[in-house]
Amino acid sequence: MIIAQKISKYFGKVEALKDISFEIGQGEIVGFLGKNGAGKTTLMRILTSYLTPNAGRAFIAGKDVTQKGVAVRRHIGYLPETPSLYPYMTVREYLKFAAQLKDIPVRHIGRSIAKVLDDCRLSYVQNTLIAHLSKGYQQRIGIAQAIIHDPAVLILDEPTNGLDPTQIQQVRKLIKDIEHQRTVLLSTHNLFEIEKIARRILIINRGQLIKDQSLESLLKEEGATGLEEVFLKLNPPQVERSDD
Amino acid sequence: MTNKILVIARKELFTYFKSPIAYIILVVTTSVFNIFFYMIIDQNREATLHDIFQVMEFMFVFLVPLLTMHVFAEEKATGTMEFLMTTPTTNTDIVLGKYWGSFIFFSLMMVMPAVYYLIIEYFGQPDRWAVATGFFGLWLEGAFFVAIGILTSSWARSQVVAAISAYATIFLLYFSVSFLKYFSGPAVEVIRYLGTLGHAANFAVGLITPGDIAYYVSGIIFCLFLTRISMENRLWH
Repeated sequence: MIIAQKISKYFGKVEALKDISFEIGQGEIVGFLGKNGAGKTTLMRILTSYLTPNAGRAFIAGKDVTQKGVAVRRHIGYLPETPSLYPYMTVREYLKFAAQLKDIPVRHIGRSIAKVLDDCRLSYVQNTLIAHLSKGYQQRIGIAQAIIHDPAVLILDEPTNGLDPTQIQQVRKLIKDIEHQRTVLLSTHNLFEIEKIARRILIINRGQLIKDQSLESLLKEEGATGLEEVFLKLNPPQVERSDD
Repeated sequence: MTNKILVIARKELFTYFKSPIAYIILVVTTSVFNIFFYMIIDQNREATLHDIFQVMEFMFVFLVPLLTMHVFAEEKATGTMEFLMTTPTTNTDIVLGKYWGSFIFFSLMMVMPAVYYLIIEYFGQPDRWAVATGFFGLWLEGAFFVAIGILTSSWARSQVVAAISAYATIFLLYFSVSFLKYFSGPAVEVIRYLGTLGHAANFAVGLITPGDIAYYVSGIIFCLFLTRISMENRLWH
């Protein structure tokens, strides 16, 4: 369902991604890990055709993301790292706008909005201005717009970023509820969350894919009891130099 | 016009009316136009809108960048551009939708001055053709300024930078004829053609020429084309 072939991306002289290749099958839930600045968001933006790679190709549902961007985006539900919301709209107005842009037939828009309001437990606040809602609610609205057109592929960039533990639990449960039959690529710094949701792990470091295997085999190979241990082993903390 | 263009245009209009700046601009422009209309009619005692058209044109030079500065810059600064561009919507639909939304709002500023015609028609015998072409010319010029504002907004992440770039471009076009004395040869004709004043003046006296219409229409298309390129260029950086 998602194929990346030798993707490279440069920002000026900085090589953000180097020869990234992987394949994700239908219905797989894949955790995408890496330190800040490792290249996770860049890769996700390329997969959604928001950015164009300098080299390599990517396919979603068999369509080239660079050549067939509009067709690809019909299959994708994307939650960007920063919630892309219009604070002056109500939740319902925003979801209607998203539904119209995502090619949902006019006669089905009301039903699609009702479904995601229910799935994301937003019905109670549907007529509230987005600006007046908490970050947890805003993240749920972001997920609601991502799934409103019932996409086959979900790309979620840090869906629990900045949330408190209760909100994280709510969002995790929401992802579990909506994952059925969908291919999910999930980037997060919350390793506990990945362990709970994903069955396969991709780890990226300085633009290079350094691990691509099942959670079970990764833990076994690294002789670790949890992902945090694996992550710290592969991405050791930098020792801060003191000039005193 | 595709459905997506309409959806985005409607959202742009919605954005204008959710912010106080839309109401402030509408009230201020209408008030200023009314004051000038009264002063001009009171002083000249002529059933013509020629002078008020000049005032309106001058006001649009200052107002349009304020209207358009947020169009792309705000979406980029808040991250909603990423939402728009990851929906199955083409860049052309986004540019045209945003342009139409802003242009419709600009057209609202032209509604109140239409009443001036009724007033001079009641009290005198105006040249109806010159009034109609004057309005048409002003509307075309506004449409061109809106396209320039949309273009400069697509370059910037900051609304202030977008507005300053729009002012610089529009001032250059509007005041270019004032610098003709410093040039000679073919440059004079080129600058005269590129400047907006001569084209608008023709409309204001009842002259509609293909050259003037082509100037504005090609200017609008050129700016929207550059806006689309500006969006696509971002994809590579």
